[in-house]
Amino acid sequence: MIGYRDLLLRLTIWFLLTADLSWANIFMGVAVSLLLPTFGPRSYTAPAILKDWLQIMWEMIVAVPRAYFEAFEMILFPHDREEITVEPSKPRRTPGLLFLDIFLITFTPKTIVVKHYEEGRHEVHWVRRRRRR
Amino acid sequence: MIDLLSSVCFGIGIFFWFWGTWPLVGNRSVLFKLHSLSVSDTLGSMAIIIGLLLKLPHEWPLLLLALISLAIWNTVLGYVLAYCASGRGRYD
Repeated sequence: MIGYRDLLLRLTIWFLLTADLSWANIFMGVAVSLLLPTFGPRSYTAPAILKDWLQIMWEMIVAVPRAYFEAFEMILFPHDREEITVEPSKPRRTPGLLFLDIFLITFTPKTIVVKHYEEGRHEVHWVRRRRRR
Repeated sequence: MIDLLSSVCFGIGIFFWFWGTWPLVGNRSVLFKLHSLSVSDTLGSMAIIIGLLLKLPHEWPLLLLALISLAIWNTVLGYVLAYCASGRGRYD
């Protein structure tokens, strides 16, 4: 049995790759998505998870302009200071959501996740603006 | 107009590429270089693909796939490199 999110992801990749909406291709896409094995443990019955997924999808859309804004900031003002902070991750995350959390932090150019601890913390590496004295 | 916009995107992308790649020859930590590489490789390449998307809109499925793959792979490999560079992993 495959979760609907996995199915959606596979079908999206299939249709983007083939760019063909004929019945034969739709049938092949659905068949391939269902036949491919699933990897790793999945949780299918968590009611609050859909809300989390929608929220993180929205955050990913917002992250793109923010990343460009940060890039221009880094180009215009020298960011010479480096520091490492430890930040708590959100509670009760599934592996998929945790992956997207780390993806979001690392996607913006000023922050990179260096390490994730099992007990729910990220180690984040920052570049910051030099302070004027 | 579209041509001008796509040229602007190409220009931004190429500028980002050079700006982010130049610090590689500098004398900073690996993590610092990774920050500027994420500007150049992720955001610069994404800007170039958006420029291509404006120029060749009929190729949108493949270009969109390229855009998504770029964002995901660059970011994930950035995390993997950062993890290995910190040298405190349990599995290295």
